Amino acid sequence: MSSVTNIAIAGVGGQGIILASDVVANAALCAGHDVKKNEVHGMAQRGGTVVSEIRFGRRVYSPLIPEGEVDVLVALELLEGLRHVHRLRREGLTIADDLRVLPAVRPPGAPQYPDDVAERLKGSARQVLLLPAAEVAQKAGNAQAANTVLIGALSRHVDIPLEAWKTALKSCLRPSLLEVNLRAFEAGRRRAGRGGQSPRRGRGGAGG
Amino acid sequence: MTTTIDPAMSALLSGDEAIARGAFEAGARVATAYPGTPSTEILESLVGYEGVQAQWAPNEKVALEVGVGASLAGARTLVSMKHVGLNVASDPLLTASYVGVRGGLVIVTADDPGMFSSQNEQDNRHYARLAKVPMLEPSDSQEAKDFTIAAFELSERFDTPVLLRITTRIAHSNSLVALGGRAEHEPSGFVSEPAKTVMVPGNARRRHELVESRTKALAEYAETCSLNRIEKGDRRMGVIVSGVAYQYVKEARPRASILKLGITNPLPKKLIRQFAKSVEKLYVVEELDPFLEEQIRALGIKLAHGPSEPKQGELTPSMVADLLGVRRRKGREAAEGLPPRPPGLCPGCGHRALLTAVKRLKVFVSGDIGCYTLGVQPPLQTMDTCICMGASIGVAHGVEKATGRSDNMVAVIGDSTFVHSGITPLIDVVYNRGATTVIILDNETVAMTGHQEHPATGKTAGGEPTNRLSLEDVCRGVGVRDVTVVDPYDVKKTQKVLKAALGRAEPSVIIARRRCVLLDRDRVRHPYRIEAERCVGCGQCLGHGCPAIADVTPEGSRKKRVEIVAQLCAGCGVCAEICPAGAITEVSE
Repeated sequence: MSSVTNIAIAGVGGQGIILASDVVANAALCAGHDVKKNEVHGMAQRGGTVVSEIRFGRRVYSPLIPEGEVDVLVALELLEGLRHVHRLRREGLTIADDLRVLPAVRPPGAPQYPDDVAERLKGSARQVLLLPAAEVAQKAGNAQAANTVLIGALSRHVDIPLEAWKTALKSCLRPSLLEVNLRAFEAGRRRAGRGGQSPRRGRGGAGG
Repeated sequence: MTTTIDPAMSALLSGDEAIARGAFEAGARVATAYPGTPSTEILESLVGYEGVQAQWAPNEKVALEVGVGASLAGARTLVSMKHVGLNVASDPLLTASYVGVRGGLVIVTADDPGMFSSQNEQDNRHYARLAKVPMLEPSDSQEAKDFTIAAFELSERFDTPVLLRITTRIAHSNSLVALGGRAEHEPSGFVSEPAKTVMVPGNARRRHELVESRTKALAEYAETCSLNRIEKGDRRMGVIVSGVAYQYVKEARPRASILKLGITNPLPKKLIRQFAKSVEKLYVVEELDPFLEEQIRALGIKLAHGPSEPKQGELTPSMVADLLGVRRRKGREAAEGLPPRPPGLCPGCGHRALLTAVKRLKVFVSGDIGCYTLGVQPPLQTMDTCICMGASIGVAHGVEKATGRSDNMVAVIGDSTFVHSGITPLIDVVYNRGATTVIILDNETVAMTGHQEHPATGKTAGGEPTNRLSLEDVCRGVGVRDVTVVDPYDVKKTQKVLKAALGRAEPSVIIARRRCVLLDRDRVRHPYRIEAERCVGCGQCLGHGCPAIADVTPEGSRKKRVEIVAQLCAGCGVCAEICPAGAITEVSE
């Protein structure tokens, strides 16, 4: 029904979710799309769960993604991926950092961090791409650029040309961090390319 | 319908940033605010614009009073706050409505349905009716900018303050905004006109008359102005809607007929009647209270749905789709049995250290609004009340008056919250011969909203140096003789000072001063570690809830096993202080 692409980026406060979603929104903008982005500030920082949503297409109305209409879920952490994976469309894709971060606040009686989190995540979506993003980022020069590695992987699977991604990275990052993030982006993009096929069906090219 | 925006002259802005841009383009000279999610970024963004005097006020009441003054001197003025801030500013608001304006006066209220970062989810649309002022509600960032400019014009044209109401999803959603230039508005200067600006009963009666006729004129204006519009569509379904809910309606029913209200007070009754007649089934879609619905029903208009109860939480696109009878595939169930991940105090936070000392004394804690409110969570669980900004001290004093005891409760309040509205209750404690113990958690910033300056940081909103309000001097100045400054990292000393204060038959203030750890990141600290051979497994270090201390006790073991995660440890040493076995030591390098 809609020609809108919906991306959700989930993780833990402090992991660079806001920056990642700025890059995606700006890349979509550079590619000529109408864009809306939504995130929650305030209490969500301080190590809590954070989710940011980006929607782009010819015309976007709601800043919130309707139930069950996420096309790509980018998870910077496995548990946060599992928390949001049910929001994917049936044919949706999950790109996740193969990383476990134990909750900082552990209320008594709360369930333990699931040992089988990666398996459960893999079993919850048709297409799941797990990446050792921090490791890849480390090789690119800075482990903190794990978010950019995942965005690089995402870039394979959405209708935004490579040039738009690069322009977005330039406009969102401090010049001193640009070089390493461009390398992290390329590395993530290469990783995602190895699987071969694009998970999107009937939605135009896979972008560059 | 597509909007054409020149990409060279447009930007992806949040609603907050768009309001700031609108104020700039409208020629606003003065902007004032107190930080509060989701409104904070409006003033933060305005600081960056040339020609706008943008400043933090100690609280929202002061902000609005400064706004009234600037307006009366002829300057276009923006005052912004979160929804509960308008409660604080409601006193000047209700009479500023009578006084009116000279330069346009726009008051932004940022509501928080769903309480992402608030203590309640009040619907501030009621304030517009209470204060008898017009209210505008944008539905995206472009409108946030356009409506801000329109609000200034409306304010001057009708001699009234104007409320601009946004919600979290407008404030913190980004969408494209076409940028324009600034239209300068020279302030006319202050002139004396007591009949307009001195609200003694005789003058106020005449002004009230003007307020009532102004509302009629505004209602007439609302009938035809472009802020309210009908989008003709399928006449089988009509929807009356405003704010972000408009986007959810367009998402769910792109072809429905819509009456989109940009002005939600006063309502255009003729337009509503005309629209109601033009459609077969009429719906009203709104968040929180049935504010529009009740007024529309009062016109005798029949709706396709039954009377709505006040809603709790925020509206979602899926809820609106259901309401409008859209058949959709139900979403899948969320994964079950996942551990929650609530926000918590950071490793190295001075608040945690202070609350650890408080917890050891086993006293009640009258709490307040700030990061330290997170102390209510386990394992700290050191908060027994939290009502509103500044309430901690008055509540503790009330408990003291009711029980005759001042030795089993402390009031805990942040530095900025104390300046906001903690000083007057402290005066009350001294005046009424109380002996309440007050702890000011001084982290030298407004931390919860993202590190803003305030009068006790010694810097203005723009980072200029200014007088640094001394909290010690304020407390002594109001008559507290027992004022002590402690470093909360020194848990034992803090505990001693606190114990002595609780035993005194006079009021005490303890200022626990430790800069917010997030502002102190560059400082080199060595992490701590646990020497396994000395650890007795008592688990006391787990009791203060530091994220860097991990419980790795094997299943079935009664003796705790604990590790410090070096990457997370901020090196504050509080765990080493509280360890009874001396098993926690600094990693020396």
